[in-house]
Amino acid sequence: MSTSKIPPLTYKVVAECSVSKARAGLMTLRHSEVRTPVFMPVGTQGTLKGVLPDQLIELDCQILLGNTYHLGLRPGIETLQLAGGLHNFMGWSRAILTDSGGFQMVSLLQLAEIDERGVNFRSPFDNSECMLTPEHSMQIQNAIGADIMMQLDDVVKTTTTGPRVEEAMERTIRWVDRCLSAHARNDDQSLFPIVQGGLEVPLRERCVSALMERQVRGFAVGGLSGGESKHDFWRMVDVCTNHLPKEKPRYLMGVGFAADLVVCVALGIDMFDCVFPTRTARFGCALVDSGQLNLKQQRYKHDTQPIDENCECNTCKRYTRSYLHHIATNESVSCSLLSIHNVAYQLRLMRSMREAIQRDQFPQFVRDFMARHFVGKPIPTWIREALTAVNIDLPEDAVQHAKESEMRTEKSR
Amino acid sequence: MKFVLKSISKNSGRLGQLRIKESNELATPLLMQTTKGGSIPYLTADTFEMVSNEQQLLQLTLSTMDQMAESLAQWNRPLSEYVGLPGHNTMLLLRDPCEATPAGGNDRDVVPLFTRRGKESLTATQYMDMVAKFAPDVYQGLCDADTNPESTKKRVQKSVDRTERFMDECYALHAKEQRLANSTLLAPIVGGYNTFARTQSIKHARAQPATSYGGYILEGFHTNGLAATALQATQLLPIVEHCLQQLEDDKPRLMPGAFTPLLTLELIRRGVDVFDTSYAYCAAVNYKALTFNYTKGAEQQTAFLDLTDEAIKEQFTPMLNGCSCLACRKHTRAYIHHLYKTHELLGPILLMIHNLHHYLGFFAVIRSSIADDELSQLIDLLRLQTAGVNMDYRIEANSKVVSKAGLGKGFIAAAAV
Repeated sequence: MSTSKIPPLTYKVVAECSVSKARAGLMTLRHSEVRTPVFMPVGTQGTLKGVLPDQLIELDCQILLGNTYHLGLRPGIETLQLAGGLHNFMGWSRAILTDSGGFQMVSLLQLAEIDERGVNFRSPFDNSECMLTPEHSMQIQNAIGADIMMQLDDVVKTTTTGPRVEEAMERTIRWVDRCLSAHARNDDQSLFPIVQGGLEVPLRERCVSALMERQVRGFAVGGLSGGESKHDFWRMVDVCTNHLPKEKPRYLMGVGFAADLVVCVALGIDMFDCVFPTRTARFGCALVDSGQLNLKQQRYKHDTQPIDENCECNTCKRYTRSYLHHIATNESVSCSLLSIHNVAYQLRLMRSMREAIQRDQFPQFVRDFMARHFVGKPIPTWIREALTAVNIDLPEDAVQHAKESEMRTEKSR
Repeated sequence: MKFVLKSISKNSGRLGQLRIKESNELATPLLMQTTKGGSIPYLTADTFEMVSNEQQLLQLTLSTMDQMAESLAQWNRPLSEYVGLPGHNTMLLLRDPCEATPAGGNDRDVVPLFTRRGKESLTATQYMDMVAKFAPDVYQGLCDADTNPESTKKRVQKSVDRTERFMDECYALHAKEQRLANSTLLAPIVGGYNTFARTQSIKHARAQPATSYGGYILEGFHTNGLAATALQATQLLPIVEHCLQQLEDDKPRLMPGAFTPLLTLELIRRGVDVFDTSYAYCAAVNYKALTFNYTKGAEQQTAFLDLTDEAIKEQFTPMLNGCSCLACRKHTRAYIHHLYKTHELLGPILLMIHNLHHYLGFFAVIRSSIADDELSQLIDLLRLQTAGVNMDYRIEANSKVVSKAGLGKGFIAAAAV
């Protein structure tokens, strides 16, 4: 292969926000160029539910996420190898990123236990004892052939505290070395290590600096977005981006709510993924700047507007809220229509941020977005604090309300 | 609606042109697009455009759309625009030909409407009131069509008598209703498999002024769903022929239902003009890709490719070799089998794309065969795809349960290395 001399991932920053840590970049992978910041829709089992690859390309989706755990079960690595990898198998010519499979094992299989060798689990099929080691994860991900793959990490609940968090972080560092030496296709695929360390700043710092000593082309930030307080969440992201090298892409795993995306881009994150936009579509919800419309509600029954008149997706071009109200959750085509809109929404949001960064008007974009997103509602304190940390101040209105509301939600947890 | 017959022959069926309102002419024999809730099943409007860019006649059904009546009463643009398919023609029928209609619920004054929320009963007045809210280009008259080959003589007679009463009201209301001024009514012909009952039903329609309705819909031969694919030609064809002989030539004749391709050809030969895509749908949802061959000289084929078959697990070839549909150009048997195993929505989407493409192609060949007076040859081709073996086009429900036994061997194997 003539391309084998070129690294399978090159990244360059094309513009930086002069105020915050936000940056726009261009990541060149074997299968496509990816303009960052980027949202990666989740195609768990080799398909984004109800959406054709051609429709994703029409939405200008550049990179898709696949789940190693699911793909390893079905179709399985033999079939994937025979097909020549997941790209061929599913008919998707652009970039793919896969996770390590470990997270799903721990979250889906209640019997999973982790020790130094790997993740111990009982087969959900014949109940025999099995083990997913860092080496196995690499073997499966090499068969899938994604442009970017993830190391197997030691996953603990985000709310875990005490020595277990440190143990998991240290083990994650040891496992990245095992992953790197087991990785058989370093000329085609790039392995990202995962920053762990729970909600403790020193552990996150220790993990980042250890991982930076390894030969890798990008970094993932893991162990967040799992029910921790937003106050802890943004601080951990902030610590990581403060220490991670500027010339490599940073991927924040499992984050995809619109407000979180805007804040984390301001904190210097480049890549995101989340099942939320496509999952909420299946329940009849459509994403808009002010949050989401639950189209099943009676108020949309006779509403003949599109979901969003400024949206250029095929759903908004042709269908009214009224019609979608009637078919949502009833006809399976509604799942496709709302997934297309919701993915279009996420991608448009990322594109707008990127353009604002390139024009160096990102702080204004953030202020406008927050005004639209929290229309009539106070902006949560954690968002104000996170943005202040990167020098973006939001208008002062309703700060008092925001604090009260934050306290209420803290109490309700 | 205007219907012009272009050619008619005793053994080769009829070619015609159907013009609905301002639309382009639709060539008959015509394949209507079956819908559910107003959408082509599983396909978004832009996906359907990857299948066909031609103007279609949409077969909308009240049983899947009744909940939209109130919203449509406030909608002053064409019905086709409301369902996201502007520019296409609309025909409103009562029952969804894709699903078996439950028996019962018919009474002297009401027809049952089986919807997602259960059974509702409609009087002729209530029915016409709903139709007026939809304002379709074409719609069927209210009828009791709850008969099949097993129905008793008494049941059949009831269906005819009730339908007469319903239709007397429909004709009267159709003439009065402002919102239906531009809609065409189809006269239902019912009467099961009984020649006397069928003749009575036809006489009632033909006793109306010729301008009071624009065509015929022949119902009461089956109660929809997969049952239509199992109808016996020897039983169905004589009674259909009996009906068609008594109908004037210049009105189109519709027969909704998932008839097999072979039976469809026989019905066309006898003079039926309009069918629907429910057969393609029924095959798709049971993971069967249509593969029968309708081109002279092409390779021998089977009726279907069964995508649930383990044997295709590692076949990285299209569902049908040489097929130009999006699903066959871009995806393999192995991938669609995987989508079946994982219950992914993309599976039926790709199968619908292929099956609709295949069936639209089939109808184009039917029309050219009639024009060339070669319909009999086409029938022979479909009957004996593989020399000496009669083809079985029936669709049986896929009752396989995805086995977890062999599942994930690769994964476990990798973990066990």
